[in-house]
Amino acid sequence: MTPDKTDKADNKAEVREQAPDFGANGRIQPGRYYGHGLPYVPMDQYPGKIIAVEGTDGVGRSTQIALLREWLEVQGYGVVETGWTRSALMQPTIELAKSSNTLNKLTFVLLYATDFADRLEKEIIPALKAGFVVLSDRYIFSALARAGVRGVDRAWLRSLYGFAIAPHLVFYLKIDVDTLIRRVLSARGMDFWESGMDLKGGDDIYDSFRSYQNKLLREYGSMADEFGFRVLDARRPVDVIQDDLRRQVQAFLSNSDITTDNLPGQPTQAI
Amino acid sequence: MGKKKNALTPTTFSLLHATDFADRLLYNIVPPLKAGMIVIADRYAYTAFARDVARGVDRAWVRDLYSFAVRPDLSLYFRVPIDVSLDRLMARRVKLKFYEAGMDMGWSLNAQESFRIFQGKVLEEYDRLVDEFGLSVVDASLAITDQQQLVRNLVARQLEKPALEAVNL
Repeated sequence: MTPDKTDKADNKAEVREQAPDFGANGRIQPGRYYGHGLPYVPMDQYPGKIIAVEGTDGVGRSTQIALLREWLEVQGYGVVETGWTRSALMQPTIELAKSSNTLNKLTFVLLYATDFADRLEKEIIPALKAGFVVLSDRYIFSALARAGVRGVDRAWLRSLYGFAIAPHLVFYLKIDVDTLIRRVLSARGMDFWESGMDLKGGDDIYDSFRSYQNKLLREYGSMADEFGFRVLDARRPVDVIQDDLRRQVQAFLSNSDITTDNLPGQPTQAI
Repeated sequence: MGKKKNALTPTTFSLLHATDFADRLLYNIVPPLKAGMIVIADRYAYTAFARDVARGVDRAWVRDLYSFAVRPDLSLYFRVPIDVSLDRLMARRVKLKFYEAGMDMGWSLNAQESFRIFQGKVLEEYDRLVDEFGLSVVDASLAITDQQQLVRNLVARQLEKPALEAVNL
């Protein structure tokens, strides 16, 4: 929707110029909003940290996060976990929409954004204020990748997610499509959405999965520089990846202002 | 979905309405436009621009959020002072709704008072939109027949224009 008296293209350019840079080449400081942000929640430098783990389905994110959480808690950090479509507000709606297959790509993008906004305001920001480590199983990047592959305007997506806070660390579990296929098939099989069957590239789920995941991996790859991903080779054994993760997290946290002293040693479920 | 549980933030409120709008746009608005029909929309994206900004979301962000919308050929803004709209609602014994009265903002526990504060901010935003998007203002404190005459004149003038603007998605 554009203001009157000028044509659409001109005004779009104008709006883009006004929007702050969106995390390009790490220019956005971690812990700050990527874009316009939430004007009613000023973002001070809160003591907590956001560590995001990104990567496509079946790459081993949740395994790595579970191990990382345990390790952080043993060291005395308060940990809060958050993950895609887990908001109390939106989860039932998104599940319903997925099962009924009635949503188009635009409404899907907006539902995911709503879910993220709900978790940001109700889980992530309070945890940052209280000095927790927020482990995020996927952040906004999976949403950007999925929507990008489906042809949604990339600049619009970045403006939409301008209310997101730049994480302190983003780990990207990188895998090639052949390894991914074998892993997914031996674990649980290919599902409709992960195979991009909604893109209607054909009835063969294997072909669709391969083509969709290839596009998705390219999309993630193109964001690595833009958002400063730390790339981890996800084809290695679980414990090797975990050692790598811990080393990098340790190095970051020990150089940061976060403390373990004033936090309980007990694992914390939620705030 | 969430609304009754009193659980929405200004941003999730804004995003859910945008989702609903996107759905209606693609299923109920674009097809009749393509068929050359006239679509009359009771509220449009401008409602979101006024209401969501009054709740504290960023002006540029919400405009960009709705950049997938089709720009209307004619937008009518029925302007009315707060006292008049409040009197009308009270005369019909309408119980002010939680979000409509802006009760989620915590500005006042009194629904009428909250409505007054919230709608005051909403009207300020609408005034800004009149110039920004060229809304046609109708004085809604006039008699209904007078308003309708104005509306018909505006619509007639619009329909006399050589061709409807192309759908721009």
